[in-house]
Amino acid sequence: MTTTTAIATAEAARRRSSLRVLLADPSVVVAMLTILLVVAFSVLAPVLFPDANAIDSPNRLLAPSPSHWFGTDELGRDLLARMAHAGQLTLLIALGAMALSIVLGVVWGMLAASFGGWIDEVLMRTADAILAVPMILFALVFVAALGSSPEVLIVILGIVKAPLAARVTRSSTMVELTSDYVRGLTVIGLSKRRILFTEILPNVFPVIAAVATLNIASAIMIEASLSFIGLGVQPPLASLGTLLKIGYGYLPDGWWYALFPAAAITVVIAAFNAVGKRIERYLDRRAV
Amino acid sequence: MTVDDAVLNISDLRIGLRADAEVELLHGVSMTLARGERVGLVGESGSGKSLLSLSVMGLQPPAIDVRSGSIRVNGSEVVGARDSRLDELRGRSMAMIYQDPMSSLNPVRSVGAQIVEAIRAHATVSRAAARRTAIDLLGSVGVRDPHRTVDNYPHEFSGGMRQRVMIAMAISCEPDLLLADEPTTALDVTTQAKIMELLDDLVEQRGMSVIFVTHDIALASSFCSRIDVMRRGEVVETGPTAEVMRNPQHPYTSALLASICTFETDPTRPLLSGVAAADALTGGASR
Repeated sequence: MTTTTAIATAEAARRRSSLRVLLADPSVVVAMLTILLVVAFSVLAPVLFPDANAIDSPNRLLAPSPSHWFGTDELGRDLLARMAHAGQLTLLIALGAMALSIVLGVVWGMLAASFGGWIDEVLMRTADAILAVPMILFALVFVAALGSSPEVLIVILGIVKAPLAARVTRSSTMVELTSDYVRGLTVIGLSKRRILFTEILPNVFPVIAAVATLNIASAIMIEASLSFIGLGVQPPLASLGTLLKIGYGYLPDGWWYALFPAAAITVVIAAFNAVGKRIERYLDRRAV
Repeated sequence: MTVDDAVLNISDLRIGLRADAEVELLHGVSMTLARGERVGLVGESGSGKSLLSLSVMGLQPPAIDVRSGSIRVNGSEVVGARDSRLDELRGRSMAMIYQDPMSSLNPVRSVGAQIVEAIRAHATVSRAAARRTAIDLLGSVGVRDPHRTVDNYPHEFSGGMRQRVMIAMAISCEPDLLLADEPTTALDVTTQAKIMELLDDLVEQRGMSVIFVTHDIALASSFCSRIDVMRRGEVVETGPTAEVMRNPQHPYTSALLASICTFETDPTRPLLSGVAAADALTGGASR
């Protein structure tokens, strides 16, 4: 019995160490803390800044000062407060798009892997086709056609980012499908659908997590780009991209108005990318 | 015994490569297995014994197709059956255990969850009831402390224990036919003996029919009531174990018997002479 316990303990240590490996990297710790801070700040925006939209004409376009850390905008609103609210919308769109892309991509990839043959060809060539079109162009066409409410943006970004998740899911699923445990479950009569979604999915989950993190970063990027060229979130709603676009009009005198939203976008994308890339690299090393 | 009473009835099964009509891998194999009968399918690597057992499960590799003949399990045709039909047969009418217990369990799910999944694939029972059955099954295959180990993951078991878990999964839906494809090859000799003992008990208790696939004719003879010898895609000899062991009719069987090491084996005797004789008789590799 002692040996069993020893093995179990060793295994528990190993499993914990996968998180520890990630946290041993200072850049990941910094990135995770940044993400946590940004998320907390955005979620708490209505509590911290209940009257962020109150117009205060005498204080228009004030430079950063102790009373307005990030300055004020063209209607005298505190920029920090507006950014908190904008961050909320940006994160909501990014997370929604990520969730949709993962759900679509996982089903897409699993169907392709399990059916094979011409179904696989059709599904994966469709994915290639979507990936071949520059993402921003793809999004542009659909936003122009369907409008740019946050819901539409989530759907469009979700669809644009799904092929990547589909590709990764397909290749990992194909590896799993050839493994012995799948044969073991087949011989006792488990249906293919059951095997795919209850047995294989947990095995490919780490890879999907890496793609999900990278998809968030990429969704923020595209959303900001769309907003910057005026096709993203429309006023009075504002995302970080929208703020950047408006602030751009007040350069160079109102430098803070464009600078802080731009910096925020950069930092958030960098943070998500750092975490995602690190997970990806960790998985690569494990595969060797 | 009529054909329909048989648990397994294979008649004139021909299997070949899909891509090349010239290549035939099984040349008209026929075999009948009565309820409770244990057949040892012996032969060297590439003789087609594993291919035959996979075909019975409907699991032949995609590059291979069944050209003619039929495989009936409990009277149901397996050849050309739809996947949904095969899913019904697998587990309940027939089940399989095979060589590598180290990788044949899902690493990210507890063994209990996997047995529960197997039970619920065929019977509408609650998760709690299936879990109780799983614990009983683990106990009956000799896994210690099943109430606790039911929630353990495969990596927490040794090779022999994993093979026991595999056996528990295979018998969870009380199949009539158990295909054991070299179930002890990856295990050390003492574990092998224990697993064989366990299989012997379980098969006896549950009245299962067994096809025991192995290259080890000595092991097969200790477990099976009948021996079928396969070579190059054909059953070259079949008969009651005692008969085959004492008085082999086919030179290849003699060669297999000669390959068993005993304390009396003469170490200077050329090992391959028997096989060479068999080659001469069957026309060598001309097939």
